[in-house]
Amino acid sequence: MTVLVAYASAPEGREALTEGIKEAHRRKSDLLIVNIGRGHHDLDAQELQELEGQLIEAGLALTIESSILADPGDAVIQIAQERGVEVIVIGLRHRSMVGKLILGSTVQRILLDATCPVLAVRADKL
Amino acid sequence: MLDSAMAALASLADPSLLIMLLIGTVAGLIMGLIPGLGGTGAVAILLPITFGMEPPQALALLIGALAVVHTSDTVSAVLLGAPGSASASVTMLDGYSMAKKGQAARALTLAFLSSMAGGIIGAVGLTLAIPLARPLVLSFASPELFMLTVLGVSLAAVLSRGNIIKGVSAGLLGLILGMVGTSPTTAEERFTFGSLFLGDGLSLVAVALGIFGLAEIASRASQRRGEKQTISLGGGWGQGIREWLSHWTQVIRGALIGIWAGVLPGVGATAGTWMAYGQAVATAKDKRQFGKGDPRGIVGPESANNSVEAGDLIPTLLFGIPGGVPSAMLLGMLLTYGIQPGPSIITEHLDLMYLIVWSFAIASILGALLCFLSVKQLAKLTKVPFAVLAAGLVAIMLLGSFQEGGQLGDLWIMIILGVFGWLLKSTGFPRAPFLIGFVLAIPLERYYFLTDSLYEGFDWMARPGVLVFLAILILPMIWALIKFIRARRHTNLDDGHRDEQPEDDEAPLKNSTWSLAASGIFFVAFAAAFLSSASFSPEARLVPQLVSTGGLIFSGILLFMEIRRRLRGRTPHADHTLAEKADGSLGKQPVKAGWTLDAKFALKTFLWMTGFLALTAAFGYLIAVTIFIPAFLLIVARARLKVAIIYTGVLYIVLLALPSLLPIDLPQGWLNTLV
Repeated sequence: MTVLVAYASAPEGREALTEGIKEAHRRKSDLLIVNIGRGHHDLDAQELQELEGQLIEAGLALTIESSILADPGDAVIQIAQERGVEVIVIGLRHRSMVGKLILGSTVQRILLDATCPVLAVRADKL
Repeated sequence: MLDSAMAALASLADPSLLIMLLIGTVAGLIMGLIPGLGGTGAVAILLPITFGMEPPQALALLIGALAVVHTSDTVSAVLLGAPGSASASVTMLDGYSMAKKGQAARALTLAFLSSMAGGIIGAVGLTLAIPLARPLVLSFASPELFMLTVLGVSLAAVLSRGNIIKGVSAGLLGLILGMVGTSPTTAEERFTFGSLFLGDGLSLVAVALGIFGLAEIASRASQRRGEKQTISLGGGWGQGIREWLSHWTQVIRGALIGIWAGVLPGVGATAGTWMAYGQAVATAKDKRQFGKGDPRGIVGPESANNSVEAGDLIPTLLFGIPGGVPSAMLLGMLLTYGIQPGPSIITEHLDLMYLIVWSFAIASILGALLCFLSVKQLAKLTKVPFAVLAAGLVAIMLLGSFQEGGQLGDLWIMIILGVFGWLLKSTGFPRAPFLIGFVLAIPLERYYFLTDSLYEGFDWMARPGVLVFLAILILPMIWALIKFIRARRHTNLDDGHRDEQPEDDEAPLKNSTWSLAASGIFFVAFAAAFLSSASFSPEARLVPQLVSTGGLIFSGILLFMEIRRRLRGRTPHADHTLAEKADGSLGKQPVKAGWTLDAKFALKTFLWMTGFLALTAAFGYLIAVTIFIPAFLLIVARARLKVAIIYTGVLYIVLLALPSLLPIDLPQGWLNTLV
């Protein structure tokens, strides 16, 4: 089975990754990272190597995938459905009412459309 | 109203109209197949032929072509995995995957039927728009019309893809270029530099064909296709029809999105198609198959890209504000016939409006039918390397732009603008706002002075219609600003940017020395326009100075950003990570700056075109064609000798026969004046 981390180069993405790694160890599942940020992710080679080594030690695998779909929410759901993942881990942060109204929310879309459980973690701790 | 509609349908029984519609449809299908032409190319190439015709015949021809270009552009996308136009690249995602599984026929059936439905729904939308908009349009006075022209240019600039500052700069430069010639208020000559030729202003066909047609040829002539293996047409016609029927809601949704994208200026078929795809994905529960051959990924977008063209016609005909490039050219055609699009078209030419609607619907059905019948032959045409087609296209386009004024100067302008258009395309400047600005320059000025003379000061600003348009004008700018700020703060994770297409590689020279040069050219052009307009009379000076001041500000920002990027240098790239390899983004790394292979090839192509024009000026068109075509085919396209000889021979005979069949003049050279 697999744990999917919806990663983006921002605090909430980092938080999701940290929580995703924990989740993968706990569930003894492989880790799958999907980049949902605009442009490229900022995980450098060394960081990924360390992470991979750490997972291999536990007998798990690390994969990174992307989708042709333009919307990050759709991309995460497509990959999750394809791979039949166990859980999606995603980071979220505070959003004002106006912000939500104007800009929509990827997290909300993933929460509503996903066909598997979603673990949402907060970056800005209360 | 129903009477006019029926009368228009009855008039289509006229054999000459039907023949024109048929010719237009066939021409549209062929041009849809050729990469890079699309609706813009189809209208631009057919427009010159219509100059000697009556308006109904001309409209039947152009609408016939416009309605079906997006029906046939699917063929190469599905069979070759090489989209005929940017909007067909969406269909490619699912269509090509389906074809690879041996189900090309299924994909094509879905696409053709959806295209047909999209065209018909678009025509229905256009029909409904007439009674709905009629009271609104008739209540418009010059202040509203002035605001509409401003709105047309600025929405085109803000909504077209790419950088907004680039869009606005392009739109403003289009406005300046449109002001070349006689001022509509004071009848004095502006930006003509004493030339009699520029006194009439630049020819729309030359500008459109240069900026879009020649630029496209130059950027694609280096592509050699043909070696690519073709996928044979598998079975699945019946399955395609059944599947299409079961996805009828997607068809209607796609068509409605398409109409909406068409109504908004500058959005166009490409963005409309991506919006329809995004919608299909977003509303689907099971997303597993998208990109791997999901019928829903074909049906919606295909239906949308055909209805976009009908949607484009709504603002064009009712308000005189073109929604896209093909309709901007159609607007130009109507004006040359003395038909003023806008409120008066509803009262005076309602029959023409309905003729357009019917032509659109009939051509959509005809187009799909012809595609089904000839798909095997069409597929063969997509295998011809573009460079081979380019030779003939250059000859036809130059001949086309000669028809409007009969002056060789138009052809030189066309090549110069072709180079400029290529620069815009390669450096990521949207070209639609440029042409829409060019078309709207004179109406904008005329409506402004009309408003100014009818109202005291800024009283006209308080009219409710004007206030509404002002709001429509300002809201997208605030929206764009918010997006810009958020993008800078990198806290845009939650943005639902569903309606944005992924970055494409249409602009290979973005962020290179070339884009710096483009910004520089913009700045210099605006500065020159500002300085030279100082000598005009106050009335003739006002609008050009306002526009060029705006242009100086925007292109100045652009120049500043380019220079700053240059000074900072590019952020050093770490070694390619596992992740980069995994998501296949290795190939998408920023291209190397400066003199790239693409630029070299494009400039070489332009040199060839210049050579062709020089030959025409010296020896006349027929002799120039017989020298240029075989030389281009043998040297640039590396075609076989036999192909070159047959090609040249056929083209020569066609050109010889053309003037007696159609109202077309061939350019005569300097040599002919001696004989």
